[in-house]
Amino acid sequence: MAQIQQEDKMALGPKKFNMWIFIFTSFMFFAALTSGFIVYSGGRGHGINLKLPNVFMYSTACIVISSVTMFLASKAAKSLQFAKQRQYLWLTMLLGVLFFIIQLIGWSQLINMGVYFVNNNASQSFIYVFTGMHLIHIIAGLLLIANTLRGSYKNIPQVKNLFGMEMSSIFWHFIDIIWIYLYVFLLLNQY
Amino acid sequence: MGFNKLINYKKLISLFAVFALLGTNMLMAQDAATPATTASGPDVAGKSSVWLGVGYYVLLFLVLCFVVAIIGKILRVYELTQQMQKKKTLNWNNVMGTICIIFLVAGLGGAYWSLTEQGSMTLPEAASLHGVKIDNMFLTTTILTLIVFFITQILLFSFAFIYKGSDKRRAYFLPHNNTIEKVWTIAPAIVLTILVVFGFFTWQEITNITDGKGQSSIDIEVTGHQFAWELRYPGKDHKLGAHSYKLIGGANKLGVDFKDKASFDDQTADTLVIPVNKPVRLNIEAQDVIHSVYMPHFRVQLNAVPGLPTYFRFTPTITTNQMRTKLDDPKFEYLLYCNKICGGGHYNMQKVVRVVSESEYNEWIAKQKPYLSDALKGELKLAAEKKNTLNNRLALNN
Amino acid sequence: MSTIAVQDHGHGHAHHEDGHGHHHDTFLTKYIFSQDHKMIAKQFLITGITMAFLAMIMSILFRIQLAYPDKSFPFLETLLGHFAPEGHISPDFYMSLVTIHGTIMVFFVLTAGLSGTFSNLLIPLQVGARDMASPFMNMLSYWFFFMASIVMLSSFFVQTGPASGGWTVYPPLSALPKAMPGSGTGMTLWLISMVLFVASSLMGGINYVSTVLNMRTKGMDLWKMPLTIWAFFLTAILGVLAFPVLVAGVVLLIFDRSFGTSFYLSDIVLNGQVMPYEGGSPILFQHLFWFLGHPEVYIIIMPAMGIASEVMSVNSRKPIFGYHAMVYSLIGITVLSFIVWGHHMFVTGMNPFLGGVFMITTLIIAVPSAVKTFNWLATLWRGNIRFTPAMLFAIGMVSFFISGGITGIFLGNAALDINLHDTYFVVAHFHLVMGSAAIFGMLCGVYHWFPKMFGRMMDAKLGYLHFWLTFIGAYLVFFPMHFMGLDGVPRRYYAFTEFESMKRWLSVNVFITWSAIVAGLAQVAFIYNFIHSIFWGKRTVQNPWNANTLEWTAPIEHFHGNWEGEIPTVYRWPYDYSKPGAEHDFIQQTVPFSQTMESNLPEDFEDNEGALEEQQKWANTQRANEQVK
Ligand code: HEA
Ligand code: HEA
Ligand code: CUA
Ligand SMILES: [Cu+2]
Repeated sequence: MAQIQQEDKMALGPKKFNMWIFIFTSFMFFAALTSGFIVYSGGRGHGINLKLPNVFMYSTACIVISSVTMFLASKAAKSLQFAKQRQYLWLTMLLGVLFFIIQLIGWSQLINMGVYFVNNNASQSFIYVFTGMHLIHIIAGLLLIANTLRGSYKNIPQVKNLFGMEMSSIFWHFIDIIWIYLYVFLLLNQY
Repeated sequence: MGFNKLINYKKLISLFAVFALLGTNMLMAQDAATPATTASGPDVAGKSSVWLGVGYYVLLFLVLCFVVAIIGKILRVYELTQQMQKKKTLNWNNVMGTICIIFLVAGLGGAYWSLTEQGSMTLPEAASLHGVKIDNMFLTTTILTLIVFFITQILLFSFAFIYKGSDKRRAYFLPHNNTIEKVWTIAPAIVLTILVVFGFFTWQEITNITDGKGQSSIDIEVTGHQFAWELRYPGKDHKLGAHSYKLIGGANKLGVDFKDKASFDDQTADTLVIPVNKPVRLNIEAQDVIHSVYMPHFRVQLNAVPGLPTYFRFTPTITTNQMRTKLDDPKFEYLLYCNKICGGGHYNMQKVVRVVSESEYNEWIAKQKPYLSDALKGELKLAAEKKNTLNNRLALNN
Repeated sequence: MSTIAVQDHGHGHAHHEDGHGHHHDTFLTKYIFSQDHKMIAKQFLITGITMAFLAMIMSILFRIQLAYPDKSFPFLETLLGHFAPEGHISPDFYMSLVTIHGTIMVFFVLTAGLSGTFSNLLIPLQVGARDMASPFMNMLSYWFFFMASIVMLSSFFVQTGPASGGWTVYPPLSALPKAMPGSGTGMTLWLISMVLFVASSLMGGINYVSTVLNMRTKGMDLWKMPLTIWAFFLTAILGVLAFPVLVAGVVLLIFDRSFGTSFYLSDIVLNGQVMPYEGGSPILFQHLFWFLGHPEVYIIIMPAMGIASEVMSVNSRKPIFGYHAMVYSLIGITVLSFIVWGHHMFVTGMNPFLGGVFMITTLIIAVPSAVKTFNWLATLWRGNIRFTPAMLFAIGMVSFFISGGITGIFLGNAALDINLHDTYFVVAHFHLVMGSAAIFGMLCGVYHWFPKMFGRMMDAKLGYLHFWLTFIGAYLVFFPMHFMGLDGVPRRYYAFTEFESMKRWLSVNVFITWSAIVAGLAQVAFIYNFIHSIFWGKRTVQNPWNANTLEWTAPIEHFHGNWEGEIPTVYRWPYDYSKPGAEHDFIQQTVPFSQTMESNLPEDFEDNEGALEEQQKWANTQRANEQVK
């Protein structure tokens, strides 16, 4: 009986579902920001009026690749190849950090172009808000991966390892997609 | 034992009544006396009397609690004795059901009283063309909703009364009935369709103003800032001059741009005077935070948003004097108030609005001061000179 | 404050044995950092009630100012210090009081206090789960809420006072720290508190949705869930979709306030100083705010509707009339509530065509509301009504909802709203529908599920007293306000003395204030009853109301896991009250149809051919037996 309870209590399926709902809320958040952008630029006739720095292309490539490595890590975990799993997780983290750095470089290039956060054309401030809010998610994603990695080193039960793996990969793919969404959105609104 | 308590209870009630009566009397007497004491001496007496008041009310409340507790005890004892004697105890279902029906009757009476008594204190008839449409709409909505209101409330409380519980009966098992459910989905839908259609057209008529700026209506600019309204009349050319918030400062309170020739003859005024039966277009601006131009007698309201100029076009139909005789109030004035929270002075941001005949209006407008006052001219000249010297210096440097 | 209350109660509660063998709870994990949904529910409730009382006291304070604008009350100075110099509440502090009153009531009492308490308590118990999907997140949800409460209240200790731009915190007023004292530190604290609060709500909401969808016991399909669960579930979905939008709005506001961006600010001259902001749109904030704000009001009313439905059915001893229609109308309200937010903005200078569209959608919302109202009435019809305090509060909730909803029809009409916007008519509307109907829904829930939470009964007679005083008091407070609104009296006015025409409302204001004080004092009866009953109330039996739902099959004693042994299986919908032929006037959800052959109806077997055959066979033998006789 106690056994049943323990299993019930772990409630792994529902917890995964929690992650999906969280992704929904997160998506609503970005949808709200982009809607805000549309209302703002539509009502005011202020577009972004600049060409986005090319580094954002590199960061996009970076995060797309990281999604692939994340997928490979998942696959490795499922086929019990833990060393490989760790390897790919490290790679993903590395790419994530790289993405982070490239975004910051992007910011500095924007600043060099004279596009500041504190700006009378808030369309341009919105670039910083989008990327910044996304970076916060990246940090959360990195922490999740780190946690999974830690679990994998500690040899926790496979159920839990897989569960952690799945949670972090759902989230990581999600922030990948969100970034692509934001990037395309910004590209479409460049002028 | 219950009997004993009952005597106790009566005594207490009368004691309480005496206490309440005497206390209130004493407080009243003190209240009447306070002005005298404060007038003559320091208001220590006044203060202590207020504290006395607080103390008194606290005491009153405690006594009330006590009485409630006693009544509760008596009820408990009564029920226990009845139970012991195998008699019927108080049936709370019946008591509550009865109170429900009493509440229904009293509530309907109260609602009726409120509707007539306080209803008569509401705004007089609309003093503008579109206001009449709004009032009609209001009347329709009121009639329809009051019918719904009275029917549903009567059903609610009379059902509560009629079907109050009893051990002898069972409720009627009725989980659903599709026909009747459809009926009461469709019926309100129809009522609401009427309201929506009627309301939509009224709204369209009010807001859909086809004529452009300045045509056939008097353009008046109303600007809100913490905590007052500024007015600008267009002057002889019937055109308001351009303005920019960046030019605000000194005597140029509205930031009027004098590069625009239309601004030279603009006028300011202290009172919003408008001629009767002529369309007026209020150009609404704000300088610091959101305010709202609210003129309830004309059924006019629109927010004043910084950075987002808006306008409202309406036609007043009743002059201030006519309204005074109608309301039998020689001091009546139309008012413009601020109706959007804007800071500590929000509650007192008013402007008198006066509707006059056309001839009176012409007479009045002729007497209003030009916006370009002497002080402002002086300032502008100074600024121009500064600019010139600056330019000269730049020229020299080159 | 509230933690102390929780702790105290802990001692009174019997130290039952777990008998489960799993790890032992320490005091800390059991009463404070508890992950048990029942304990978290109690924590939410007690914090919510505490906040409700504080907000109610605030309302009394500013009502005193409105009733006696010229009198000075030295005790106010003692109580409030420099906020009430010479016994007069200052205009700025008046605004703070109104703002914090509104914020606390809307968010802390009726969102966290209502959903937090009852979703937590009832979702696992009524769907048959041992706990929430993630108990840990559930615990975090409470602690974020607690921190948000503390931050919100701490703003009273700031020199310049708490936020004072109204609970809707429209910029530029809220974005310019110099625009009014409350827009300084007070506003910052307000924003921090709100972010914490939203985090709490989201964590809660995510759990509720996931638990309802994933953790129902055997047999509990969606159409067997009680209406309470439906209401909490849809409420949680609303919250999950709407709250992030508020966060987006708030984040941009924080940037405008603290970094100098101009998302919302444009063309501003404050105190004669030209500000650098350009190009922002104050209306943008209003859109973002009301995109949450409007669903928020339904987040508030829907749990109250669910609770009232359940309680009315139990105490009328009758199935809720039109269960499916009730669910569909809830769904309708949920969907519609996302497309009506513009009705708060009819006179902001928004595109008039949009105004027209929002007006149509707004009035359509009255249709599902009407269905609910009529179904409640039909539930009472030919019932066998048992007037428990909870039942009275449910009836009161319906009465208020009708009154307040109908005034919403006036406001929803864009043309009428021109003259009614931001007047006391609006104040009357939302107090009836929220400050009264939703509060009554919550009180109804407290009276009804108190035995489940604390294992003891509340005193019914004090409940009656509480109900009638509050019910009549609330009507007396809010009914006259309509007429003030129809006379064009604006809300958020510190005093009505500056306008000759408003002075005649002073006597009405005195009346309202005294009614509010009486209604406020009536809450003492509630709080006394509540606390007293926690410790010394009559012990309850397992199913004190003879109700059908699953929570009454769980033992009175609380332990983590809810049911000893297996979770009961569910066989039927929760509203089999007074079924003809049945032995009692209620049949619990856990009773299989095979045990109630006498009372089964053909509808009971809609998707169960086999059972229907069985039933027919039984009926035939029954008939045969009769014939033999
Ligand atoms: C619990 C909260 C709650 C609920 C349920 C509602 C319900 C409704 N509200 Fe309300 N509202 C608020 C809380 C709520 N509101 C708050 C807090 C504000 C002010 C915010 C602020 O500015 O501070 C507000 C403000 C507000 C406004 C803006 C006013 C303004 O600022 O100018 C409007 C305008 O459309 C509106 C409309 C409605 C409508 C149409 C409904 C409908 O859902 C009502 C539907 C119900 C019924 C209609 C009654 C039952 C039905 C029948 C008996 C059937 C028959 C009826 C007919 C045929 C008419 N509300
Ligand atoms: C739930 C919401 C709620 C509740 C219950 C109340 C209760 C009260 N409100 Fe409030 N009020 C708001 C929400 C609420 N209010 C909001 C959102 C605003 C707008 C703020 C703004 O403009 O920014 C507002 C504004 C507001 C104003 C307008 C101020 C102004 O614009 O200048 C006034 C004026 O009289 C007022 C009065 C009162 C009074 C007298 C009470 C009561 O005291 C009435 C008497 C008491 C009761 C009816 C009992 C209530 C019971 C409890 C509190 C105990 C609850 C316990 C449990 C549920 C377990 N309120
Ligand atoms: Cu200006 Cu309110
Ligand atoms: Cu709304």
